[in-house]
Amino acid sequence: MLLVKAIGRRLGYSVLTVLLATLLVFVALQALPGNLATQLLGQNATPAAVAQLDASLGLNRPAWQRYLDWLGGALHGDFGRSLVSQQPVLTEAGGYLRNTALLAGIVIVAGITLSLVLGVIAGLTRDRWPDLAISGLSLLGMSVPEFTVATLLVLAFAIRLNWFPAVVTAGPTATVGELLPAVWLPAAALTAVMAAYIIRMMRTSVIDVMSAEYVTLARVRGLSSARVLFRHALPNALLPTLNVIAINIAWLVGGVVVVESVFNYPGIGTLMIQAVHNRDLPVLQFIAVFGALTFVVCNLLADLAALWLNPRLRTPGRAG
Amino acid sequence: MAIDQHGGTAGIDDNVLMNGAAVDRGRGRGMSRRALLGAAALAAPLGLAACGSSGSGPSAESTAVTGAAAKGGTMRIARPPASAAESLDPASSLSAYEYLGTLYNRLVKQAEDGSVLPDLATSWESSADSVTWTFTLREGVKFHNGNAFTSADAAYTLAHILDPKIQSPQAGVLSPFLSTSGISTPDAKTLVVKLSSPNAEFVSLLMNYNCYLIPEDSSSTIGTTGIGTGPFRLKSFVPAGQGTVLANSDYFGGAPVLDAIQFTAIADIQARVDALLAGQVDLIAQTNIDYATSKTVTASSIATTATVKNAEWYVLPMLTTASPFTDVNVREAFKIAYQPQDLLDLAVYGRGTVANNNPVVSSDANYLDYQVTPDPDKAKSLLKAAGLGSPMQQLYTSTYDAVLTPLALAYQSSVKNAGINISIQTASADSYYTDVWMTKPFCVSYWYTGRPIDQLLNQIFRAGSSYNETSWSDAQFSALLDDARKESDAAKRKVYYQDAQKILVDSSGSIVPFFADRTTGLSKKVVNYKEYGFEFDYLHIGFKA
Repeated sequence: MLLVKAIGRRLGYSVLTVLLATLLVFVALQALPGNLATQLLGQNATPAAVAQLDASLGLNRPAWQRYLDWLGGALHGDFGRSLVSQQPVLTEAGGYLRNTALLAGIVIVAGITLSLVLGVIAGLTRDRWPDLAISGLSLLGMSVPEFTVATLLVLAFAIRLNWFPAVVTAGPTATVGELLPAVWLPAAALTAVMAAYIIRMMRTSVIDVMSAEYVTLARVRGLSSARVLFRHALPNALLPTLNVIAINIAWLVGGVVVVESVFNYPGIGTLMIQAVHNRDLPVLQFIAVFGALTFVVCNLLADLAALWLNPRLRTPGRAG
Repeated sequence: MAIDQHGGTAGIDDNVLMNGAAVDRGRGRGMSRRALLGAAALAAPLGLAACGSSGSGPSAESTAVTGAAAKGGTMRIARPPASAAESLDPASSLSAYEYLGTLYNRLVKQAEDGSVLPDLATSWESSADSVTWTFTLREGVKFHNGNAFTSADAAYTLAHILDPKIQSPQAGVLSPFLSTSGISTPDAKTLVVKLSSPNAEFVSLLMNYNCYLIPEDSSSTIGTTGIGTGPFRLKSFVPAGQGTVLANSDYFGGAPVLDAIQFTAIADIQARVDALLAGQVDLIAQTNIDYATSKTVTASSIATTATVKNAEWYVLPMLTTASPFTDVNVREAFKIAYQPQDLLDLAVYGRGTVANNNPVVSSDANYLDYQVTPDPDKAKSLLKAAGLGSPMQQLYTSTYDAVLTPLALAYQSSVKNAGINISIQTASADSYYTDVWMTKPFCVSYWYTGRPIDQLLNQIFRAGSSYNETSWSDAQFSALLDDARKESDAAKRKVYYQDAQKILVDSSGSIVPFFADRTTGLSKKVVNYKEYGFEFDYLHIGFKA
């Protein structure tokens, strides 16, 4: 009962968060210099031409009215049409979303798992050579900017060794088959950047947990190392890392613009940059909703996972 | 490339193609992404260059190969996308430029020396007063859908270009003297155009890349169907994505060497170069590779570079309606205060030709070889006489093009000798051509070389043109251009154009330090790459035999 209430409250806050995100994006876009009409018309943005375009796109209505119109449509699942291509936003964004899902999926499954494993190893072998190697490398991955990592990967594996393609040539309508050969280098670049946080978080919690009293007690009681590790230590060690993982997942799905640019990968980040440049409001609002939803869901899942891993959190106020 | 900058989108209704800015300056989106990556764009080529050069000397020079080509093959070309909603309509400012030369023909095209060559018009003549123009059209030409090409299609295309709904950049150039009522087609192979005022250079204006011919009644569909008379026919096209064109064996100029061309849109310049170096594409179109990257490309085992000489001219437009440039003496001072050779060496490593403030390229038949000697002391005294002493002037730049900021910096250091202090303001590349160009008093910009003299002088320098970037207004200059248009004798016309150039160099608001070469990246297997002005030879390009 209490659990249901807790989740219900969380859902309420989530909805509010998403709404606020859309409002913020809307306000921010109004604050940008120029509007869609001047961006489209560029040099030929004479007052008459701008007025004509504004009228044809409905941009001459007051801002609050435009926002409410959009909101009304969105609640019915109609996110409007892209101002640029006149395609329904869902259709337009659909391909890009699928491509991002592919890339994010690979990074989440392979990259996060790898980072967790490396973090555990580093924690268990503290101050010995595996820990030093892993910690050192992860620090490097954290400090080097992602476009540098990406470019170095391209230089080494695409240009010199020719194992992978350097860029995606198929464009936004690429099929999964066309993307698969090209997805590994971007995935590696993203993993390199993201891994450090998870590894270091995991390492610290493993060290903490392994020195806790209950672990010592379990050992003393004769439980095998494996059982101590997997049944007792790891679930607790994972708790602090869950939020880091959630944030990273949200970042992956929300659009990794720089890496997509270097590899010409047609993901949601690419669509976002195009939409900002063109001041394409319906597309941007959809991306804002999607990004906020992803973030909220990931955090919710992280909290649920924490509840599952740590039964003590299931009753409020008695986590000690 | 077209005149203005790319921005824009298309397709509001089916055929309401709104004019962003046309293509001239490379592709806006690609550049804005480059601006976003900022340091990456600088860091990455240096990284690659360091790995690539391995002490093999400064040979960044091109090895554009000509010779026997193997018949067939599919060439993969990487190109910057014009916009998220680019189209195949040649008249639109958002046309996917690289496709146009494969799919369509114009009435006339440009020779390497700038003169006019027949394309779908085999001959033309004008009345003595240069008002009525009669074109004889090529017979036996078919569109890709099998329909015969006739004068009706040519007339329709001209009307399409002038259509205010299309907002074609070339409409601004033609509409002062051309309207649809003056176009007639007495028979299927004759097109008659009656202008509302004389223009002896009218035919040269039809070479423009907005003037490719489309079939009659295709205005609403041409953006996606791409039906033309060209050496290739459209197989598929995804805006800002991939597209393929297949050889048209019935082409009137003979079948092309290649079987097909596959175009890939890649917005980021570095990504395009990476694709070339990794062997994913064979040629990078409409991309000027900077010096460091070109060394990497020539050092690679599979790629090389080709040079298109004097492909772009760089300009520092002074807005003549803004202080302090309202005073012609101040403008002169700024023009003679710098050393052009220094700017050429610093900004583009000497790869180009000094221009001495004349935007007409030396190979043009109407070129006037008139120099204004750089003279910092005279500049100083001119400024003092104008009451300015040691002026501080802001100069705007952006990362829109790789050369703009180096040029701004070079100019800044060069004019110190004349006591002019330049403070450089970096603006966002995203909105450079909407917020800075033609708005701020002093900035840096560029144009592609290749406009015939009437188009060049009237479109960019004449009062009343919407692309007059300095808002310069000189009645004598305009009168000379009108006189030239009325003059049917080419030699006498040349005199008018030369007089106009002298006024341009002396009193316009344009500082033109140099023409720069364009460096194109291509695979070592590509032969017969030939590009100049706005012309690309798609017919003979092929792979090594």
